[in-house]
Amino acid sequence: MPSQQPTENHLNPIIIVGAGHSGVAVAAGLRTRGWDGDILLLEAEKETPYERPPLSKELLKAGAPDESTVLRKEKFYQDKRIGRRAGLAVDAIDPAGRTVQLSDGSRLGYHRLVIATGSRARSLTVPGARLPGVQALRTRDDALELKLALVPGARVAIIGAGYIGLEVAAAASAKGCGVTVLEFQDRVMSRVTSEPVSRFFEQLHEQNGVRFVFGAAVTAIEGVDRAERVVTADGTSYPADVVLAGIGVVPNQELAADAGLLCQDGILVDGHGRTSVPDIYATGDVTRFTSTIDGTSQRLECIQNAMAQADQVAADITGQDAAETEIPWFWTVQHGVRLQTAGVRRADDEVIVRGAPADGKFSVVYLRDGCLAAVDTIAGLADFRPAKKLIAQKARIDPLLAADPGTPLTAAVFAAA
Amino acid sequence: MSNNKLTVIDREGSTHDLEWEPDQTLMEALRDNDLPVLASCGGTASCATCHVFLEKEVFDTLAERSEDELELLAEAEGYQECGSRLSCQLDFSQDLDGVTVTLAPEE
Repeated sequence: MPSQQPTENHLNPIIIVGAGHSGVAVAAGLRTRGWDGDILLLEAEKETPYERPPLSKELLKAGAPDESTVLRKEKFYQDKRIGRRAGLAVDAIDPAGRTVQLSDGSRLGYHRLVIATGSRARSLTVPGARLPGVQALRTRDDALELKLALVPGARVAIIGAGYIGLEVAAAASAKGCGVTVLEFQDRVMSRVTSEPVSRFFEQLHEQNGVRFVFGAAVTAIEGVDRAERVVTADGTSYPADVVLAGIGVVPNQELAADAGLLCQDGILVDGHGRTSVPDIYATGDVTRFTSTIDGTSQRLECIQNAMAQADQVAADITGQDAAETEIPWFWTVQHGVRLQTAGVRRADDEVIVRGAPADGKFSVVYLRDGCLAAVDTIAGLADFRPAKKLIAQKARIDPLLAADPGTPLTAAVFAAA
Repeated sequence: MSNNKLTVIDREGSTHDLEWEPDQTLMEALRDNDLPVLASCGGTASCATCHVFLEKEVFDTLAERSEDELELLAEAEGYQECGSRLSCQLDFSQDLDGVTVTLAPEE
């Protein structure tokens, strides 16, 4: 890899705010791409930067160790001369003076600034939402708190049937808790998948003892010293020892917005991770950008995007070309069954079920204007890689062939594409 | 345990000699030594972006691939029935000292 020769004042480090997937990947990517100058990674949480996906999966399992999976081992940061200051928040950015102000009052100059502050769990706003026993799941501390509460016989009310809510429902039922999932929509994971997949996972959860209440509008959490029940708009009370809110995330953009960076439900960035202010980049969950696939404005909450944008930033800073961006992809595991999705589906896509859900293993193909837009794979990954390729190619798909699980997806492409 | 020696042939055909540390999976050893392995799923056998080829004699000594790993690999470019592995699924083992791995093509 070519090495970037300092041509200007490099006394100041590249400062990265946030040591999640994307922030750490920027630091690593800068070194891989030959950046020799100082790199400083700032993180409000104290521990070694860790992976978030396992927090709602492996970590909650009975007997699983409390240690979280680290993104990179401590030695890596030393070997790569990546400076870290943990336990300090960044309070403000001064773009004109090219400095950041830290929560301990100190000020640091930057050569380039990378905002990788991620997202936070959306808070419940109903009365009682702040009672002890009500929590979200985003950090390792959240996960460990929840893990302690998930004891046999505990009554667990989960608000929201998205990935997080359902992963926790699976972990809690496996531990012998009584689990009720309250969802405003009429099916699980309605934002991210189609009805056949929702129904499959509802059945899977019900077979494992999870109870669903759809059309449930939560109006209050009640209790004297701590949460005792969840109340919905129709007046029903659901007794609960633990209440978990899994109602989405919001981008941590305030730091950027306060400094005058353009934000719109996410910090706006271009295809190089550049914000509206020179020498300030943003990457990962906190950003909003225009999809290169279909031109829509999007904010993606996934590792694929965290990694791709990190590469764009590291490439831009070092004056190199970024790697080709992977098709966005997502996964969840519930009761040991993996749902893995390539591409971003829309509600008006044509839905083709490939295989029989009753067999416990199938795929669902989403076509937009006849072209492959997304694929869900359930309990099998055979369609996943071909799907990623075909989505990138905007391949025209024969719906009849795609419906036959015996025909490889690549063979369902219309010849005259 | 001492480190393993590892020889890597990259996608341009260049050879790299690395140290493979006992607490690293093969994917981590590659990634942490700046080889271009995307490993976008972080090592959970989900994405197949850490695909490598092993020599058949080495491959044959390893435990069977899981169903997920096999399904991902079977659709990968250049798939070798007796050589393809996801490097994230290979833990350090002293039996693997001195092996040569080849990075599979990017897709």
